[in-house]
Amino acid sequence: MADLRDVFITGAGAFLPGPPVGNDQMEDHLGRVHGRDSLLGKRALRWNGVESRHYAMAPDGSISHSNAQMCANAVRAALEDARLDAKALSFLAAATTQGDYFVPGHAAAVHAELGARPMEIASFQSVCGSSLMAAKAAWLNVRAGEHDVAAACAGEFSSRWFRPSFYEGTALCDEKGRVRPEADFLRFTLSDGAGAAVMEPKPKPDGLSLKIALIDVVSLADRFDPCMWAGAPIATRADLTTSWAHSGPRAAHAAGAIALLQDFELLKRVIRAWVGVYLQKVDEGRIVPGEIDHCLVHYSAKSLRAEIVSLLEDTSGMIPEEKWHSILREKGNIGSATIWVMLADLLASGKVKRGDKVLCVVPESGRALVGFMVLEAV
Amino acid sequence: MSDDVADVLRKLTVVFTEFEGRLEQMPLLRKLTRGRFELADYQAFLIGLRQQVKDGALWMSRAASNIDEAHLELRSQLMRHAVTEHRDFRLLEADYVATGGALETIQSAEKNVGSEALSAWMFHRASQPNPFDLLGAMWIIEGLGSIKAKEWGRAAQAALNLPDEAVRFLLYHGDNDVEHIGEFKQMLAMVLPDAVLAQRIVKTARVTARLYALQIEEITA
Repeated sequence: MADLRDVFITGAGAFLPGPPVGNDQMEDHLGRVHGRDSLLGKRALRWNGVESRHYAMAPDGSISHSNAQMCANAVRAALEDARLDAKALSFLAAATTQGDYFVPGHAAAVHAELGARPMEIASFQSVCGSSLMAAKAAWLNVRAGEHDVAAACAGEFSSRWFRPSFYEGTALCDEKGRVRPEADFLRFTLSDGAGAAVMEPKPKPDGLSLKIALIDVVSLADRFDPCMWAGAPIATRADLTTSWAHSGPRAAHAAGAIALLQDFELLKRVIRAWVGVYLQKVDEGRIVPGEIDHCLVHYSAKSLRAEIVSLLEDTSGMIPEEKWHSILREKGNIGSATIWVMLADLLASGKVKRGDKVLCVVPESGRALVGFMVLEAV
Repeated sequence: MSDDVADVLRKLTVVFTEFEGRLEQMPLLRKLTRGRFELADYQAFLIGLRQQVKDGALWMSRAASNIDEAHLELRSQLMRHAVTEHRDFRLLEADYVATGGALETIQSAEKNVGSEALSAWMFHRASQPNPFDLLGAMWIIEGLGSIKAKEWGRAAQAALNLPDEAVRFLLYHGDNDVEHIGEFKQMLAMVLPDAVLAQRIVKTARVTARLYALQIEEITA
């Protein structure tokens, strides 16, 4: 067997649809459930720290791009950053939480938009962590010598799922027409966009490339019930005989099994589980906090509760906040796309120097998963 | 804070989060998180917890009695700790009675298989000279008090519509514990650095967590 090759991210790209939408306009944009202002919205925004985001859907419901189109645009931007033609690409891994189709996979839709040429594709559907699943596939394909130019992309079109019609007439609204917090919170948290990275077995001739040191993805679904999900009602979500596909689309909609939902109580436990996995990586020497120059996490430090930060400090696991680079405030939480949009933003900021190490942390509350990627600038 | 203390705290945190994941899978706690918790489950839970709570101050006292003169401060801390907690099982009994249970029932209940194992283990370790590794056991048990108890108490109260006086043990524990981590770090600093002991503390935490989980696994309504 041939030796494994080093792999470098030679291009990163982002695509954000339309102009930024501020907190004061966002509810107009998504629409008000039963015409009422959200009870939770302001608190959710304070908690998640988002001040502006992008939507591919206009207030009138028309759309500027599909999820696949946003992804294809991000791949084009990443290829341009790598100074490669799309025809150089031979492997495309695409990630999303909710693609344009149920079937076939997201990568097929992205490839169709991208054009270029026949190529190998792979689709990854999860939540935020799907980005790193796709990245790992692209990385290993180049590493094993199967492909010389691979792209990993991730995109979200969440706003489509946040329209009032997803909640009205369902068990997710109370008798006064108010949406349950499990549903409402995410409307104020997630937004649209896509990001991508191009990987090759050598750095690009000039400019920075990022050597991939590791990609680790750890699922704790063997122990946790769904924490962020769509497709099952709140109370019976662990029982898949009540999933939407089983009860049929109309009954599932009425039962509140279609909208995207989040369990906050469980989230607190899942956050501790993420911290545990991270500290285990630190303990094993897979991640060395003192060596990290830039930390990309799509959680804001202020949303991590103070005791988590002090726990990280007590256990030599904390990366000082001044090394955190985030796009949450300006560009929002774009689910799986966030990590690539953050990386493109970090590279464009000029903050990265040769020899710097970048740690990407991708927590996914979905069913308790967390992924890590360590990059070294060359 | 020294690196030695931070290293042990990190390993202990990993043990605790693994333990939490294991608890998440326990049938009794699955009932609680999946909306199938009944009064009989809560009563069985209190009975199951009582054994270890009752023994807790006793093994701590025994451990204190085995600490030598060179570590008097640690001995004092353990003794204070034991005094603070040694009547907590009475609160638990009162909670049980407030749910409509009979005092004799909880007082006469036998230890389950897991409680037997946990108790035997704790007293065995506490009987060793300078049993500093029990700090690992305290990390697990204190962690349950400060992190899990309140969560369980609130969820049980909400699920069963219980009056406040039926969930005092679980809720009271949660309130009492913020300063414990500071105290815990001080205790670790009293016995570290010591590479062999550091490993032993983590091992004792791991065994304690496993046996505690067994105790909960064995609770049946």
